[in-house]
Amino acid sequence: MARASILRRTIATPLILSALLLGFALIAWASGSRPFNQTVIDIFLQVILVVGLYTFIGNSGVISFGHIAFACLGGYVAAWTTIKPMMKGIAMPGLPDWLMQMEIPYWAAALAGGAFAAFWALVFGAVLMRLSGIAASIATFAMLAMVNAIYSNWSSVTAATSSVVGIPIVRSIWPYLIAAILAVFVAWAFSVSRFGLALRAAREEPTAAAASGVNIPRVRLIAFVISGAIMGAGGALYAHSIGIVTPDTFYLGLTFTTLSMLVVGGMGSLSGAVLGVLILSSLIQVLRWLEAGVQVGTGTFALPGGVQEIALGAVMILILMFRPAGIMGNSELTGRRARAEKPGEPGHA
Amino acid sequence: MSLLALSNVSVRYGRLTAVRGVSFTLAEGEVLFVTGPNGAGKSSLLRAIAGVTPPAGGRIDFADHDITGRAPEDIARLGFSMVPEGREVFGSLTIEENLLVGTGMHASTRGWRARAASELEAVYATFPVLKERRHSQAGLLSGGQQQMLVIGRALMTTPRLVAIDEPSLGLAPNVTDQVYERLIALRAERRLTLLIVEQSSTRAMMVGGRMMLMRGGEIVLDGDARALGQSEAMHAAYFGYGEH
Repeated sequence: MARASILRRTIATPLILSALLLGFALIAWASGSRPFNQTVIDIFLQVILVVGLYTFIGNSGVISFGHIAFACLGGYVAAWTTIKPMMKGIAMPGLPDWLMQMEIPYWAAALAGGAFAAFWALVFGAVLMRLSGIAASIATFAMLAMVNAIYSNWSSVTAATSSVVGIPIVRSIWPYLIAAILAVFVAWAFSVSRFGLALRAAREEPTAAAASGVNIPRVRLIAFVISGAIMGAGGALYAHSIGIVTPDTFYLGLTFTTLSMLVVGGMGSLSGAVLGVLILSSLIQVLRWLEAGVQVGTGTFALPGGVQEIALGAVMILILMFRPAGIMGNSELTGRRARAEKPGEPGHA
Repeated sequence: MSLLALSNVSVRYGRLTAVRGVSFTLAEGEVLFVTGPNGAGKSSLLRAIAGVTPPAGGRIDFADHDITGRAPEDIARLGFSMVPEGREVFGSLTIEENLLVGTGMHASTRGWRARAASELEAVYATFPVLKERRHSQAGLLSGGQQQMLVIGRALMTTPRLVAIDEPSLGLAPNVTDQVYERLIALRAERRLTLLIVEQSSTRAMMVGGRMMLMRGGEIVLDGDARALGQSEAMHAAYFGYGEH
């Protein structure tokens, strides 16, 4: 069967990526160090978010600046559904009674966050997916600004710009690992599905794709909703990893970091999305240590604050200059020797 | 009963009129060459029928449906398959993936799988070279292979009519011969109706069938390709003698 052969040929990619993530988890577990554990949890969260971004951007070729809005929606769902009713009553008195009384486990909150974000992705996407190119990108940015404005001002439901505290913190590394692996498999399954194929075809030659029977706005919308769901679940888990949400947790900073990771890894590749996170997170971690200061002989050496962001920006610019399609380009890790590829062929994003 | 009928179709890009009030009908199983010089409106006419550039006026009927202004994917589903100019393969997808895109989105998953598998076999039987290289990236194929791939992709939609824009563009003459050989064979096997846009009329005269000559957005001649090709009127119309 045609489709079965595609599945067989490509399943190596999510398996390799999962093994890579499992490797990180095992190292953290073996080290037993609490801060290192937290770092690896952060990495898994970034993997979820960047894989969510890839699901839309990678397959459609439309850059979205707005996906972190879905993480925001998911993060607040976690706050609404898992904080103790008494605390919710004080911070967010405007919540309806059924939501006020609700106290569900973190994994259910992640699923609910994904579903809530997917719903809003459907609503926004129904309008946005008719646009293409730069217009679509700017419209997604407007969506991010709108969501941020709502969550920053609707004080009775979101506590406005003050921090919402009391979200149960999950410190175990495994739930995040499982979620990241799930995200990788969902993204892979979508991109080899007939909708994923159609969307990737439309990314390269929209006219030919339409003439082959592809309804471009519809397949884009499907990708938008799936990626919104992944981002929503990721946002909810993010909230559980730190115990606090504010609207600005999910705004420009996170948008910039996740997009840089995707660009560095390669926008057209799932492997690129995951590797981008692993590489840039490691870089960020090293810079964080240097910013905090390291003992050198008798004195301490510390980089000035802000070097992290500057270095990220510089890496992104260098990659765009010398390898515009990212580290992986459009290819995936398959565990076999690479097929003959055209060297340095720029991506179609 | 005609498969395709155009009446008074016009195409405009802003203030520029590319096609002026074109009318013709095409019967099932016919081969029609649309020829004419650069800028005659041939491609615009094709894009209007396929729904890529909606017509500014007139009416287009295909397979008993009024398709004027319908979306290209809807028109494709009715059995009108267009191969756009310049062999637009999906370069980073494999050959097999390129073909699978052609099977469309409307079938249920199970129906889709079964149909995709049988259509794939049929296309591979016609173009064995595609089967050999099924897992390589389409962007790496030669021009002639890419032309075969896009024709194969068009066949995956199980079309009644295949419309091809300049299949010989940028191909060596012997490769063009191969492409046409396959097209003619396919037409016989599948009872396909063919609408082929070519700048030159020589190919039409070799293959035979019906030929229309366009100039300045209008059809100036319409008749048997071989008969027209030898007539004085053809040359006069193509080069625009005696109009001024």
